Amino acid sequence: MIDFSTSTKVVPDSGRHTLGRRLLDVHAWLVYVFLYAPIIILVIFSFTQDGFGVRWTGFTLKWYQRLFDDDRMMAAALNTLWVALLATIISTILGTLLALAMERYRFRGRAGLDALLYLPIVIPEIVMALALLAFFSFSFGIVESLVGVKLRMNIWTVIFSHVAFCVSFVVVVVRASLKGFDSRLEEAAADLGADPTTTFWRVTLPLIMPGVIGGALLAFTLSLDDFIISFFTIGPGTNLLPIEVYGRVKRAITPQINAISTLMLLLSMLLVFLSQFVQRRSA
Amino acid sequence: MKHVWRLMLLATVIGMLVACTAAPAPEATGNVDTAPAADGVDRSKLSKELYFYNWTDYVDPQILADFEAEYGVKVILDTYDANEDMIAKVAAGGSGYDIAVPSDYAVQTMVSAGLVQELDLSLLPNLVHIEPTLLNKYFDEGNKYSVPYMYGISGIAYNKSVIEGTPDSWALIFEPTAMEKYAGKFSMLDDERESPGAALRYLGKSLNETDPEVLKQAQDILTTQKQYLAAYNSSDVNRKMSSGEYVMAHAWSGAAMQARNGLEGEFEGNPDIGFFIPKEGGMIWMDNMVILKDSPNAYTAHVFMNFVTRPAVSAQNTSYIGYLTPNKDAVPLLDQTVRDLYAEGFAPDAEVSKRLEWAVRNEKTAIFSDVWTAVKGE
Amino acid sequence: MTMRSELELPPAQQQLRRRQLRLLLAPGLFWLVFFFVIPLVIVLLYSFASPAPAGRGVIWDFSLESYSTLFSKELYVNAYWRSLVVGIQTTVVCLLLGYPLALAMVLAPPERRIVLLFLVLIPFWTNFLVRTYAWMLILSNNGIINAVLEMIGFAKQILYPSEFAVLIGLIYGNLPFMVLPLYASLARFDFTLMEAGSDLGANGWWRFWRIMFPLTLPGVVAGAVLVFIPTVGQFVVSDLLGGAKVDLLGNLLQRLFTRSNPPNWPLGSAMAVVFMALVTLVVIIYFRATTEDDR
Repeated sequence: MIDFSTSTKVVPDSGRHTLGRRLLDVHAWLVYVFLYAPIIILVIFSFTQDGFGVRWTGFTLKWYQRLFDDDRMMAAALNTLWVALLATIISTILGTLLALAMERYRFRGRAGLDALLYLPIVIPEIVMALALLAFFSFSFGIVESLVGVKLRMNIWTVIFSHVAFCVSFVVVVVRASLKGFDSRLEEAAADLGADPTTTFWRVTLPLIMPGVIGGALLAFTLSLDDFIISFFTIGPGTNLLPIEVYGRVKRAITPQINAISTLMLLLSMLLVFLSQFVQRRSA
Repeated sequence: MKHVWRLMLLATVIGMLVACTAAPAPEATGNVDTAPAADGVDRSKLSKELYFYNWTDYVDPQILADFEAEYGVKVILDTYDANEDMIAKVAAGGSGYDIAVPSDYAVQTMVSAGLVQELDLSLLPNLVHIEPTLLNKYFDEGNKYSVPYMYGISGIAYNKSVIEGTPDSWALIFEPTAMEKYAGKFSMLDDERESPGAALRYLGKSLNETDPEVLKQAQDILTTQKQYLAAYNSSDVNRKMSSGEYVMAHAWSGAAMQARNGLEGEFEGNPDIGFFIPKEGGMIWMDNMVILKDSPNAYTAHVFMNFVTRPAVSAQNTSYIGYLTPNKDAVPLLDQTVRDLYAEGFAPDAEVSKRLEWAVRNEKTAIFSDVWTAVKGE
Repeated sequence: MTMRSELELPPAQQQLRRRQLRLLLAPGLFWLVFFFVIPLVIVLLYSFASPAPAGRGVIWDFSLESYSTLFSKELYVNAYWRSLVVGIQTTVVCLLLGYPLALAMVLAPPERRIVLLFLVLIPFWTNFLVRTYAWMLILSNNGIINAVLEMIGFAKQILYPSEFAVLIGLIYGNLPFMVLPLYASLARFDFTLMEAGSDLGANGWWRFWRIMFPLTLPGVVAGAVLVFIPTVGQFVVSDLLGGAKVDLLGNLLQRLFTRSNPPNWPLGSAMAVVFMALVTLVVIIYFRATTEDDR
């Protein structure tokens, strides 16, 4: 299926300068321009004086200042990061476990589970969002009648909902990296007397780490930007960035939104460089 | 493997602790001994917080601060963009909100779905300030459940420097020659009752008409219009009109006001913006405050609703939002510039009021959903 | 990777493996059933109910009316068709853009590959709505593209709002979901096969079509599935970039569930169920296509 391991296959260096390769490189550049054009516009216009954010009328940092005064927006940004982090951790753990089960064992219902795992990827978000809403209200009603405690939607209902759709993505990615896995290493460890837990932590996990990290990154990306499901599963008093932005984008787009996006971009790039740095150290 | 389980257990326990402590502080049980103050409010019965679920940009943050200063209650605001979104969240139960602001028909929906509490009118003396013609409406006779908050009318906003003369008819946005002239520079409201309603009034019919033949005619008008339209826009008509991107638009009066006056800190107004209700008629609607059934802070909610209905507070709120206040005693307290704009057509006078119609919603009007889907799918 | 046959192991080991299996499956399975399957069952049940007049909730009678409306009324069938077309267009363009890009990434020196991969992902860590809004700016009447057109001497085009703008937005938003699987597939591709092909006298195109493409087909299909399906169900891009004039399946679903008055949950649920059935069909085909190539 899909293998995300960055194995170094033989890639011939000959033909580096043929027309074909040149065109390929040009194409790649153009696609990157396509990918980054809106980003660049976004960043540039976070500094414009124009209140509509559509024209360049001079440089200013006032939107960033406004941003730091805007408690609502900052709280929303922090909440979003927090939710994404927790959802990522939980779904990565669950997804990795499931992937291991799917790839290592044969059991009845495996094909059925396989199909089930694809459904969250496939279902329209709005359907899932409303189904989750119905589900939570139903469950809260039951809890209330059983225990008398009245629960309401809160940050955890959002996190749990995010995990529900992230798990599938993690499974897909981790399974891919398990496909190319050489089980002899594990058998060797077992022969040397290691019990299953040690084998897992010391041998298996490090080898599938690229897949696990890939899955975690995907989950993080999905959670960070999720709007539909978050909107319907969130409780009062908590706010998330995509919902806050949607409300503002629909009526009053000030460059403040460009400012927060630029900041989040910088943060993500920082995280990426950090992870690269860490990986290089531990290599 | 054991580590994993322990981590999961820890996470679950922490999660449950957080969830439990996130519950709101309920109303105090009379441990402060202040007797009812001169305004009749028993401060010992007030809660620490009030959860207010309102439309986006529909309340002056200053009045929330003023309320807190006067009564010591922190008002926590959350917003929504559509009645249906709000109802979905509230109906699911456990939303945690105390007050919501449904539009006219939505009040009826919420009442019949058992989502709102009956009001204790003795706690709402300020109701006397509300314009009598706006009380006792079809959706809540006797005002048992709702207190009028803001109302608005839907008509046409236009840029006087581009569109000459004094237009007075829906023909401005439905007539082919006009549409061609301004192609790509005007919008209609993205609403399944507003836009078909406008077409129906243009045809000389009621906007609650459910005869399929008539609706087909309205549908045809809209599908013809669609190719000239810039967009169906209910969200930022104010900005697009102010910046000149649109030269005219099917708009709510408040949005047109905001286009004219600007929104503080967001964009500047455009003095060329005008607004009118076409001679064939337009829609009137009203947003109302209700107290949700499962709100634990009903007393505080009443006090807040009463506070908002004070003429001075209502006037301040209205100046900020730009829509129309149902509070007749607040109108004289408004800025002269605002009152001038009202006179100019941004608010209905007695004459205009006669051709305004409320949009009723019931099983029969469900057919509008199909009409709208057909138009959108074109 | 070979799966150890259960029957080869001694009984004690078999027991252990069963326990391990249950341990691995339990948490994830619990989560999926609870937060995914049950909600879906609720949706399925709704599709067989009737809409309540007051708008909230449904009447629990068994009714096939939603499904009959769905299949008989032209406007609903058209909605599926339109979305299908847009989905295919988006997928094809993403493939045309993504394949060469993935190829270029794989051919780059190993250290650079990860960086290139991240560079594809990073734009997607900004807020999706703001990126969409940025496209609105670029394509608008006063935007960059029209400014350039004017400079060259062409007339301004209405690029936004339009179906074209919606396509651009969809392609843009889905590109990484096409590139990632393609990259993974190409990374496992044995390029010596291409050399062998050229030694045998085949030209570039032939080698691509007959060697590279078929062997990377799993990646292509995975990418296509990951792009096509969400595209058909989305509504934000078609709403924002289409000026609410482009009505796809997602927009219709959103309206039926949340904007119609009264909301028609049964009809919306029926649409969702049919959509999911169609899509499951696609996924099954995908399985057939890839499990044969499973190495």
